[in-house]
Amino acid sequence: MPTLSHLLLALGQALLLFAAAPLVSGLSRFERAKMHTRHGPGIFQDYRDIAKLLKRQDITPPDAGGVFRVMPIVMLATLFVIATGLPIFTRFTPLAAVGDLITIVYLFALLRFFFSLSGIDSGSSFAGIGASRELTMGVLVEPIMMLALFVAALLAGSTNLGAIGTAIADGEVRSAAATVLAGCAFAFAIYIELGKLPYDMAEAEQELQEGPLTEYSGPSLALVKWAMALKQTLVMGWFIAVFLPFGSATELSAGGLLVGLIVFVVKLFVLFGLVAIVENSVARARFRLTPQHSWLGVGAASLAFVFFLVGL
Amino acid sequence: MDILSQDRVGASILSALRGVLPHAILQEEWQTPRQVTITVKPSALQDVVKTLYYEHYGWVSVVVGNDERSLTGVFAVYYVLSMEGPEKCHIVVRVEVPADTQEFPSVTPVVPACVWGEREVRDMFGLKPVGLPDERRLVLPDDWPDDLHPLRKDSMDYRMRPAPVADNETYPFINEAKGETTIVPVGPLHITSDEPGHFRLFVDGEDIIDADYRMFYVHRGMEKVAESRMGYNEVTFLADRVCGICGYAHSVAYTTSIENALGINVPARAQAIRSILLETERMHSHLLNLGLVCHYVGFDTGFQQFFRVREKAMTLAELLTGSRKTYAMNLIGGVRRDILGEQAAETRRVSAELRVDTQRLVDILLETANVGGRVNGVGLLDKQIARDYSPVGPLVRGSGHARDTRADHAFAGYGLVKNTIRSHDGCDVLARTLVRAEEVFDSLDLIDALLDTAPGGAILTEDFEYLPHKFALGFTEAPRGEDIHWSMTGDNQKLYRWRCRASTYNNWPVLRYMLRGNTVSDAPVIVGSLDPCYSCTDRVTFVDVRKQKSVTVPIEEVERYGRERKNSPLK
Repeated sequence: MPTLSHLLLALGQALLLFAAAPLVSGLSRFERAKMHTRHGPGIFQDYRDIAKLLKRQDITPPDAGGVFRVMPIVMLATLFVIATGLPIFTRFTPLAAVGDLITIVYLFALLRFFFSLSGIDSGSSFAGIGASRELTMGVLVEPIMMLALFVAALLAGSTNLGAIGTAIADGEVRSAAATVLAGCAFAFAIYIELGKLPYDMAEAEQELQEGPLTEYSGPSLALVKWAMALKQTLVMGWFIAVFLPFGSATELSAGGLLVGLIVFVVKLFVLFGLVAIVENSVARARFRLTPQHSWLGVGAASLAFVFFLVGL
Repeated sequence: MDILSQDRVGASILSALRGVLPHAILQEEWQTPRQVTITVKPSALQDVVKTLYYEHYGWVSVVVGNDERSLTGVFAVYYVLSMEGPEKCHIVVRVEVPADTQEFPSVTPVVPACVWGEREVRDMFGLKPVGLPDERRLVLPDDWPDDLHPLRKDSMDYRMRPAPVADNETYPFINEAKGETTIVPVGPLHITSDEPGHFRLFVDGEDIIDADYRMFYVHRGMEKVAESRMGYNEVTFLADRVCGICGYAHSVAYTTSIENALGINVPARAQAIRSILLETERMHSHLLNLGLVCHYVGFDTGFQQFFRVREKAMTLAELLTGSRKTYAMNLIGGVRRDILGEQAAETRRVSAELRVDTQRLVDILLETANVGGRVNGVGLLDKQIARDYSPVGPLVRGSGHARDTRADHAFAGYGLVKNTIRSHDGCDVLARTLVRAEEVFDSLDLIDALLDTAPGGAILTEDFEYLPHKFALGFTEAPRGEDIHWSMTGDNQKLYRWRCRASTYNNWPVLRYMLRGNTVSDAPVIVGSLDPCYSCTDRVTFVDVRKQKSVTVPIEEVERYGRERKNSPLK
């Protein structure tokens, strides 16, 4: 059973991430505008957008059913649960039950399932195509993710994300090459999961009018946008927790948490900066060719497994 | 006007035609040494157009209907062919349509390029092309009254708008797919097209099996308004407004048509200035499209960068014409503003800058990872389909046909300088993009060359008189391809008939072939590679649909609003 302080930490970090997510996506927009030589909106624009959308009327297409209506709430709730479990500022997971890699992977899968289902449920053909793309991407990305994390789990001897992170941070893993390779494969999977160019397949604006988002409006669109910002923050946090845990608090103390927070923000800032460079210097990949790209990730993750077996 | 018969270009084509079809030609009338109108027997119409098209390397530019009942007692349909074989000229095939039967044989079964023209004649004049395979409406809305044909002289006032009677569209979209397909409707409003057009994609998974589309949601009725209430020179300014991007090409085409009809000798300096402005327009239009290609493939950084550089082309337009758009420069007989020494020097400076900036961006575009994969082999326009449907501009030049009005029928100042025709054999989006990129540099070269060679002297002649019922063609190579205008003067200081055909009009019919076999995600790139202009094709809105009312605003009020930008007269 988690102690009260662990519970408070879980709740606190989830709320903090929840509140800061639009800032993270706002920062991405800001960097994008600078690379376009545009003035662009300020970094708080996403808060303004969400506030504006929350005031608007909510229109649902006549053909849409219950799934379409509940999806934004399911999406946000799932992400909230994930946010309580990830070791973000600390080395250990606040809630051990949620912080297991299999739980997290499946929670993200649940999210993807509802997201796609709502696209099909909306009755719009663009949303339908977006939904089928989203599922295809899931099929392509999840093996990379699972394989990379399993290699890390085998190295650390635990499937708890906190334990894996601790093992990597302390240098207690048996094979450095396998760890680095698994980290690269996982980073690639995370990049696809971020839904940024060149892999923003499901929400491709010019091709599919933002896919499953097409039919959302008003408060539900606000929730979905918020959830997508939170998802991007969380998948990045996930990567940091497992493969870049250096500097996070090992003990539950005020000073440690503060340092953990600062370190996390810096890492997030640097990583999103790198993502912005990639995102703004490529065109969208052709959807047909994405499997060829994802094979690279599967290859790297498999190689990491081989390295683990031979103990390199 | 007397045209010496030895100067006539195209006379040998006509004698060859007479050899094959001895009794087809009833009458032959030369408007200029390179422009002839032949009246043919209706029974020989198909054969004449087919022979000229396929055996003498002709291309259908436009099909013009005309209500000539008050002049000759009959309707007439004009098939304008641009002859681009060894003898480059325009041959207009005129067929008379009796006022009682109102029928004429359709040419579409033998020359597919006539399909839109004949459909439009059917809508606008109520003439029946017998044998036309596609009898759907082209221009008129689905609930428009059956017997109301707007361009007939006795049909309706230009202000009349029949009340809408139906909410739903009943337009039948054609799907030639064999198996079962899902329909993906794109538009009338779609995120990547800023103008209304409705595309129906028939897809299997993500593959486009077939596609159909309809345009003309924003028909502005310009031809009717020009014929009903505008003087000759007012139409020049109306023609500017046909397009928001390449309007100047239209006003040059219109003035040239009147100048050709009346035999006006426009001063050489005015012609050179027209060409310089047309090239400025081409440059900003092509840079726009290059940016849009980036946008459609999701490379927004390139899009923004191209728009930054394009701004210099707009500055150039402002320098030369006083406005960011090359509007209000033409008059029949010349231009309104000279290019002075200082402006010429500044133009050279800006164009040198543009050359460097554009080169850098084009290099970046072609070297960006995965842009090639999005445009290479996508949206193929087969060479033979291009031949059958007479598309124009970078679209046809990207499919291996080197046709460019600037070189084929040198108009305005293009006779003074050397013209290069760019063409690529790739038939895909990449080929069209490369043609546009190369043409930007050609435009810069042309501007420099024209500034060097432009002779001095007058920029406007007013030494002519308007004569009634004279007609001729005027043409330009707009950024999107050939614009062609057919004008006939009237006896009341107004045009009797004005047919204004924008380049994109000729490019739409081939789109379905370009979409087939690609994926849904390629559709915007393909449509974008046409560089489409929806409302120019539509040419027609005085009525505010949203408010269901129209307002007439006095010109003083508009001018005041233009200065003060307060209290809009339209609110």
